[in-house]
Amino acid sequence: MTAPVPPFLTIAEAGRLIAAKRLSPVDLVKHMLARIEVRNPELGAYLLVTERQALAAARAAERAVMAGKRGPLLGIPLAYKDIYETAGVATTAQSRILADNVPKQDAETVRRLHAEGAVMLGKLATHEFAIGGPAFDLPWPPARNPWDPRRFTGGSSSGSGAAVAAGLALGALGSDTGGSIRLPAAYCGIAGLKPTPGLVSRRGVIPLAPSLDTAGPMAWTAQDCAILLDALAGHDPADPASVPGPQVSYAAAIAAPLRGLRVGLLRRFYEHDVPASPEMLQTMGRAAATLRSLGCRVEDATLPPVQEYNAVGRVIISAEAYALHEATIKTRLSDYSRVFRVRVLAGALVRAADYIAAQRRRTDLIAATAKAFERFDVLLAAPTQGTPPLLTEQRPDDGFSRPLLTTVANVAAVPSMVVCGGFSNAGLPLGVEIIGPAWGDATVLRVGHHFEQAAGTRERRPDA
Amino acid sequence: MPAPPTMPVPAISPGEMQLLLARAGLVLNPGQVADLVLAWRQVAGLIASIPHDRPLADDMAVAFRLPPPALATAPRARPAARPAAKAQRKAPPKAKVPAKRKARPKPAPRKSTRRAR
Repeated sequence: MTAPVPPFLTIAEAGRLIAAKRLSPVDLVKHMLARIEVRNPELGAYLLVTERQALAAARAAERAVMAGKRGPLLGIPLAYKDIYETAGVATTAQSRILADNVPKQDAETVRRLHAEGAVMLGKLATHEFAIGGPAFDLPWPPARNPWDPRRFTGGSSSGSGAAVAAGLALGALGSDTGGSIRLPAAYCGIAGLKPTPGLVSRRGVIPLAPSLDTAGPMAWTAQDCAILLDALAGHDPADPASVPGPQVSYAAAIAAPLRGLRVGLLRRFYEHDVPASPEMLQTMGRAAATLRSLGCRVEDATLPPVQEYNAVGRVIISAEAYALHEATIKTRLSDYSRVFRVRVLAGALVRAADYIAAQRRRTDLIAATAKAFERFDVLLAAPTQGTPPLLTEQRPDDGFSRPLLTTVANVAAVPSMVVCGGFSNAGLPLGVEIIGPAWGDATVLRVGHHFEQAAGTRERRPDA
Repeated sequence: MPAPPTMPVPAISPGEMQLLLARAGLVLNPGQVADLVLAWRQVAGLIASIPHDRPLADDMAVAFRLPPPALATAPRARPAARPAAKAQRKAPPKAKVPAKRKARPKPAPRKSTRRAR
């Protein structure tokens, strides 16, 4: 196991090389740690690097490989958004409030990955408590986009997006309440899946708004997300929202061709409701053409306006996030970032009647979305208006004043993933969103995988 | 990039905001109040856009997952009652540790971690 480590690897590639004993997990982890040492000071993707533990876990993985053990995640270096609890390792949610928090046990998702032999490299940047937005008044700086460090990564899984794109981890865990996996996936040019609610355990993940929170994988490719989901998915009796989902191998299911698949294009979303830039419109046109070339039938689809999903999502998030933080807000308000305060404090003023009206309206939107899947197998949308904006362009009240296209899938309780759809003239990534029916996670991953293969967007990496 | 259609943002007077703050039990400094007014006007606009006039018979979007009747009514296997004095002498039974927890790696010493710069 002495072959040199290629500069960039996917999980699938690294898994094959390790299984063939052509790549040492120890060498791979050392390679990743060296890259982190060089790139992280500028990008701020990692809050904490667990170097000694990573090397120990890599050595254990190497011993297992030499003893004949095989597995797609054995010896694969991953990192986790800092809202995932990790036994004996600080979990801060990038907040002064939890600066000294050291959990006693791993989140269920982390436990499952480690049981498969994955290696933890460290804890990744997040927006404070997965909602704040990029903040400059916290002890840790916000993560920066590897394609252009002046630009926003998207959030709140900001470090996860930056680390995967820059090759500082082969995969990561993120969380998604209104788009927090898919926005950084879009802006950082990677793949990210928000699974069907209940498919992946949230036990040990610091919540934001439990009605809408989901935990999920982020990686360079849809195939890697499928490999991670194989380990992550499964009923967790200790998570009351966990549901026994379909018994499928997601990594195997993505191979089936797309011929005959019915794709609904949510054109009104990005042409009218939240108008996209010309480059994003071109990307969506090319994405539809690519899927047609793969044998899909692509037609326009219609859902209620994005603003309706967004209003419901924002009211629920405000009320639930405030409720979770109320006790701390009343005693340590100045310890939160200003962005967090702006986005959460208004939840104190949401009346119960308004919160329930939002939940009731959500049932209508879930039904309306489900009806669209009587005609279509998946829906295609733009996750953002365009390329990643400058960090300095971010406003504390962005979460309210600008509707998020991604919130549709959270409110509708359906799986959704973002894959890289192409690049702007300036070389910045543009994402494409694929939305499926509840429990259609395998189909969503399958479309993402074939799209990536056909579009050829996975060869280009940010500057090393 | 074209801006999305703007949403009407309702106004709120300082007196109204003070009432809302008092009801919520929040004590804020002037800067924090200004931030809250900024956010609340947006949230109030979102709330106003959500229909409230629904039929009374509509279900709420809340699910209670009660155990199935067979489990709920099954007699519990309880140990036979024993005299209180005897029960006190015995140590309480140890909680059974699930197998998956045994497999969890031990927490590493803190010194094995280092802060990223």
